[in-house]
Amino acid sequence: MRLRAALGFLPLLLGAAALLLLRRSFDPVPILQVRIDMGLLALFTGIALSAVWLSIYFARRANRMQRDFGIARERLKQAEAQRRFLRRLDHELKNPLTGIRAALANLESNPAVLPDIQHQVDRLTRLTAGLRKLADLEEIPLEYEKVDLGQLLQETVDAVKAHPSGNGRNLRLVVPSVPWPLPEITADRDLLSLAFFNLIENAMKYTAAEDTVEVRAIEQARHVQVEIADTGPGIPADELPRVFEELYRGSNARGREGSGLGLALVRRIVERHTGMVTVRSRRDGARGTVFAVTLPVTALVAK
Amino acid sequence: MTSPAPKILLVDDEPSITENLSAFLSRAGYAVETASDGRKALETIEKNAPELVVLDVLMPEMDGRAVLRTLRSKGNHLPVILLTQVGEAGERAMALEEGADDYLNKPFDPRELLARVRAVLRRAQGSKVPLSSAWKITSAALVLDRRARRATLQGKVLALTPKALALLEYLMTHPDELITRERLLDAVWGWDYPAGTRAVDTRIAELRRALGDEAEEPQFIETVTGEGYRYRAPVEGEQ
Repeated sequence: MRLRAALGFLPLLLGAAALLLLRRSFDPVPILQVRIDMGLLALFTGIALSAVWLSIYFARRANRMQRDFGIARERLKQAEAQRRFLRRLDHELKNPLTGIRAALANLESNPAVLPDIQHQVDRLTRLTAGLRKLADLEEIPLEYEKVDLGQLLQETVDAVKAHPSGNGRNLRLVVPSVPWPLPEITADRDLLSLAFFNLIENAMKYTAAEDTVEVRAIEQARHVQVEIADTGPGIPADELPRVFEELYRGSNARGREGSGLGLALVRRIVERHTGMVTVRSRRDGARGTVFAVTLPVTALVAK
Repeated sequence: MTSPAPKILLVDDEPSITENLSAFLSRAGYAVETASDGRKALETIEKNAPELVVLDVLMPEMDGRAVLRTLRSKGNHLPVILLTQVGEAGERAMALEEGADDYLNKPFDPRELLARVRAVLRRAQGSKVPLSSAWKITSAALVLDRRARRATLQGKVLALTPKALALLEYLMTHPDELITRERLLDAVWGWDYPAGTRAVDTRIAELRRALGDEAEEPQFIETVTGEGYRYRAPVEGEQ
């Protein structure tokens, strides 16, 4: 687009070059006298103006069509994402409900199924809580304050360690202290703590007892990057782009409990801080997964 | 029981909720009546004068919020527990502004409702001006101005984050009551997650710093080891 605009100056440059060339080669510069009758002059003027107007018109039309096409494609993508979300939601609701119905059918003859029902109800409760949180995140204002990220990560790591999912894993936290500590960042402390909790707990959930989970933070220009790295089985390449989608459950997630909303929440929280979260993963060799969260030291006040 | 069972009115448009909750609360020793919409609720309140109302927000005819407003505008300070979603933006502020005595997020554990019912009834016996509809709450040198969203200690305005202020407000309007971290998360944050209890501790620490309160010898906020927190200083509400 910029090249095309530059091309607009080409005739001007050629004209200037010709002028210099002629001035240098001839003295005096030969004069070309054109005589034209006014009728033809009027016609040529008309043709030139029409050409200019038509070219502007067609350029605009092409532009509009391209934009409409872009919007239509975006809508299609959104509609598809929504359909996908509804299909997944249907699936997530169906399983616990089937469990409850089966337990209810057995209830009269066997009251021992009650804990099963309670378990499925807890699952549904977690799901609705997650959905609500996700919806809340679209509108609640962030409560910005100065946050000591090192301290926040330490607290979160301790909380995960205290959680049953933390059994056995070697979980370590690396926060720089020399030559200077991590800078304080401007952020919503509670939301960040939720995001890091989800990431660290996820790493614990998808690794085995002998695996290592490392949480490390570094300062980068005006940003802070936190990585949550694990030596787990890794995520298949074709699933990587989807892991942040709502209710997406990868092949590793089968047979593991979870709302399927944890990473979607992480992404939304980080985005609201005008930060970025990415994932990289390897399935063989030095296998494992690394989630990287980049946050601005001074948050831009964004939506 | 020496005194007759306290009367509770349960208002929700979902029969499976009213039926099961009323059975549950009856077993806990309350005389429970039910209503399926706001209009019927007001009629029942007029006729039977219950001691407490559990009110759902989303209902046909007249929603819970309108019922609460109608009651309060008539000067009726009947204790109300609102079943609402405080996570939604502004919802908690509204619940407080309209004078709900407490609120619970759906879906809730019936045992939590019972705990709220007991606490609200106990509190209602003591005070003349209910704290729920007080705009100014005074506790020793600490004054909370709920309309201005401001707390002062010995006349000096405390610099508090909005979350800490909301937490202080919840504690001061539920004095002398053991409140678990989970309950505080649910009531003030609107959501609960395993590491969230630490978020509560962090805010409590912020409040204590601002109030000059020692955890070992607290004047205002007391830690109940392994259970939660309790606001211990006497409070008085002003309208």
